[in-house]
Amino acid sequence: MLGKLTLQAIPFDHPVPLFAGSFVVLVVLCVVVWIALKGYVPYLWREWITSVDHKRIGVMYVLLACLMMLRGFIDAIMMRSQQTFAFHAAGYLPPEHFDQIFSAHGTIMIFFAAMPFMIGLMNFAVPLQLGVRDVAFPTLNNTSFWLTCVGALLINVSLLVGEFARTGWIPYPPLSELTYSPGVGVDYYLWSLLISGVGTLLTGINFVTTILKIRAPGMSYTRMPMFCWTALASNLLIVAAFPILTATLAMLTLDRYLGFHFFSNEAGGNPMMFVNLIWAWGHPEVYILVLPAFGIFAEVISTFSNRPLFGYRSMVIATMAFVIVTYTVWLHHFFTMGAGADVNGIFGIATTIIGLITGVKVFNWLFTMYGGRIVFASPMLWSIGFLVTFCIGGVTGMLLAVPPADFLVHNSTFLVAHFHNVIIGGVIFAGFAGLTYWFPKAFGFRLDEGWGKTAFWLTLIGFYVVFVPLYITGLQGMPRRMQHYDFALWHPWIVAAAFGIVLLFCAMVCQVIQLRVSIRHRDELRDDTGDPWNGRSLEWATASPAPAFNFAVLPRVHGAEPYWEIKRRAIETQQTAEPQYEPIELSRNSPVGVITAFFAFFVGFAMIWHIWWMAILGVVGAYAAFVWFAWRDVEDYTISAAEVAQLDRARRRVHEEWLTQHARELA
Amino acid sequence: MSTTEALPQAYGRVIDPYSLGRDRRGDAGGGRIYVTGRGEGGPASRRVIVGFGFWIFLLSDIVMFSVFFAAHAVLQTETAGGPSGRELFNPSHIAIETACLLASSFTCGMAAVAIEARSQAWTQVSLLITGLLGLAFVVLEAGDFATMIREGAGPDRSAFLSSFFAVVGLHGLHVSAGLLWLGTMMAQVFVKGFRPDILHRLLCFNLFWHVLDIIWVALFTLVYLVGALR
Amino acid sequence: MSYDWNVDVAPGFMDATRRSVRQGITSYLIGLALAVALTAASFYVAYTNLVWAPGIPIALAALGIAQIGVHIVFFLHMTTAPDNTNNALALALGVVIVALIMIGSLWIMANLNQRMMPMDQIMQMQR
Repeated sequence: MLGKLTLQAIPFDHPVPLFAGSFVVLVVLCVVVWIALKGYVPYLWREWITSVDHKRIGVMYVLLACLMMLRGFIDAIMMRSQQTFAFHAAGYLPPEHFDQIFSAHGTIMIFFAAMPFMIGLMNFAVPLQLGVRDVAFPTLNNTSFWLTCVGALLINVSLLVGEFARTGWIPYPPLSELTYSPGVGVDYYLWSLLISGVGTLLTGINFVTTILKIRAPGMSYTRMPMFCWTALASNLLIVAAFPILTATLAMLTLDRYLGFHFFSNEAGGNPMMFVNLIWAWGHPEVYILVLPAFGIFAEVISTFSNRPLFGYRSMVIATMAFVIVTYTVWLHHFFTMGAGADVNGIFGIATTIIGLITGVKVFNWLFTMYGGRIVFASPMLWSIGFLVTFCIGGVTGMLLAVPPADFLVHNSTFLVAHFHNVIIGGVIFAGFAGLTYWFPKAFGFRLDEGWGKTAFWLTLIGFYVVFVPLYITGLQGMPRRMQHYDFALWHPWIVAAAFGIVLLFCAMVCQVIQLRVSIRHRDELRDDTGDPWNGRSLEWATASPAPAFNFAVLPRVHGAEPYWEIKRRAIETQQTAEPQYEPIELSRNSPVGVITAFFAFFVGFAMIWHIWWMAILGVVGAYAAFVWFAWRDVEDYTISAAEVAQLDRARRRVHEEWLTQHARELA
Repeated sequence: MSTTEALPQAYGRVIDPYSLGRDRRGDAGGGRIYVTGRGEGGPASRRVIVGFGFWIFLLSDIVMFSVFFAAHAVLQTETAGGPSGRELFNPSHIAIETACLLASSFTCGMAAVAIEARSQAWTQVSLLITGLLGLAFVVLEAGDFATMIREGAGPDRSAFLSSFFAVVGLHGLHVSAGLLWLGTMMAQVFVKGFRPDILHRLLCFNLFWHVLDIIWVALFTLVYLVGALR
Repeated sequence: MSYDWNVDVAPGFMDATRRSVRQGITSYLIGLALAVALTAASFYVAYTNLVWAPGIPIALAALGIAQIGVHIVFFLHMTTAPDNTNNALALALGVVIVALIMIGSLWIMANLNQRMMPMDQIMQMQR
């Protein structure tokens, strides 16, 4: 009746996951009950859960990312502490738990922390920067978000019901095949990623269409902000790469469920084919993560240096070159797994070429800063931290790109330090920079600078204290994912890394305090003009928080850096003519996303536990929800011209006051 | 179309440092600045947006198929002592299935012509014939699969058979999903008529059905015909 | 065939069949005729001695590519006109990605299969 699901699935005899899972369930229940008792449910349903507004969806993505980063960080604390204690000792985590923890850490951080963070920021900022009202397919956008949430939910459910995969975040066969992983762990991984992968692919399609087909009048390709170019490249990569992930995981699922022989040891299967195909996805995946980060830094560096971006055209060419070159390097993830020197050499050279393209971008950022009037606000601090940290990470990557060198450090902590170096230094720093940069546009007030800067310094120093020792132990020969070790040479470095985790923990606490303090003091930190940073692109041309329709009248773009032009013109002419307001049509909110995701969750859960009737019901339910949605007759709602005028006049009044104030100094 | 702010008089000449060989005003094509969809005229029409978006989805689907094709190409010699393509594939069945799908692609095109002419009757007839031909394809293919499994040449026999069942089965699944979609579209056109959003969905279905036939061409060439040589 | 220089088109029939019903049907009929001819040719090449045996896969591939081209032009109405640029470029990117994945995978797997023992032999060594 319930397939393989029994009460044995709950880990009553394993204290760590039992306590952790119960704690999470308790917290979630308390939050849900509090929301219900306070009467917030209708508001949340109407304004956030069913919202198709890209700004709201972006905020929800970033919220998901931050929550999942917390969970992944706790996994990291457990790993570092286990290794600190487990020198000539067993530590406190048995191997079968430690394996699940490092697998969950990787899966959660990549798929449910880093990806949603970047996708959330792209969701929020790209339509605003393009000067338009929303993305191409708003309801699809909402559905993508909820499907991603279902993936995250499934992984978290595995904490309390069943187990997680013990294979690492990339489940190589034959270990991940049914013979050697007979439990439900790998199935949780597979269904979580198959479902959230659909959501991500839909996001990719949405943004490629938006950036190519929906832009403000006058915004040709060469007048798009750099963040939009990197968003385009990243989403093209999503469209091209995520099908590979879906296909490969589907093949592994077929092997496990129906006895296929794609990757099995017998009947002709080829485990190395999994490795090949999954890294053909895996390498573009990390560029999907880092390209929006590059775009965020381009925006932040040019704004806080008060200069236009240096070498715009070379940046565009470099960004689009990534889309192709990233598909020529994936073998560098498995140099040591049997390919010949010729194959290794070609892919090694291709990897070095990718480093070259990144170097072009780094020089352009540096030259943007040169000769500018730099303002050291916290987004700029994150950017400078990125420039140093990412370059170091990139250089270690160049070392790994040389196959003979890689043979010595493959799968050691050197590799671990390298990819954390580039992902934390690139993606996470960008996430926090972008979060601080666009927070006023989303909520109408800035984040507290003092706590932000403290968090930055703690993160930067903490990062180096954790990972430089890991570089050293890697060179000393320490493999990754060790549950215990006896080699005395590594021990002091592992202990040093644990101190770094303490610093990172303090940084995380500072971020939480920053949020609380900023909300408390939001009136002092309020952004009235809509342009708190003296920005250069179109998102700053509208009020903070941005109204539902983004722009009362779609801006007309005359040159690159369109908002800078608008500001300059306004200052020169000392007048901003009131535009002619017209009614605005926006897409109606819809519950189809959350309903489809609800059914998708049950499909995933049912497939994991072999509850076939539930799976079939889930599929039928999802299809029925979709047909019901497709049958609706009214797609849009209208905001009258009078209402638009009323909302916009308030903003214009503030702008005119600002103009008269600053006219003398800026003329 | 929303109007935009009036250009202030004192604006002067725009110097666009990033213009790529455009004219002095930075506009494309000698002053023709109202090119929708190519950026400078503002957002494209809903039809172009939906069509292009679905086209991008279809390209992602083609990438997914190519992964299964690659897997089949790698595993096609791994028969593990079991039957190979030459023993299993029935040329007449493959020919009939190809004919069915090609004919259904043609009738789908006829449906497109009928839709442009806004003829409810011809649209329903052509869509129905498309569906029936597609159904014939699926039934034939399912029958072939059942026979192979019954004879011990199922997907769990060898890696070659696994990859064969996967790539052909994936195509069959897409055709089946397409039939479900077709049924829904026929109902929607009947009830709601030729409304713009219904037309956009029909455009998407049309693209989907033709791309499925394109994938079948690759399939029967690379999997069946080349496979039968071994 | 005429196109409006100022307006991009979606792929597929709606913008392309800005012609009469007869023109639309004719284009699909031509496509069908070509496709049937190419399919028949493929079957003939595969199952008879028309082509020298080692050359059959290449002949089949060429016929297949030609038929895909027929589908793209006559059924999907894709052209190289400036109003179709985005659609054609997207297709080109898709083709490049597919080519990189397939050629890369086939090359890598052939190299690995040549250099490493088959898995079932390795497994037998374990026993």
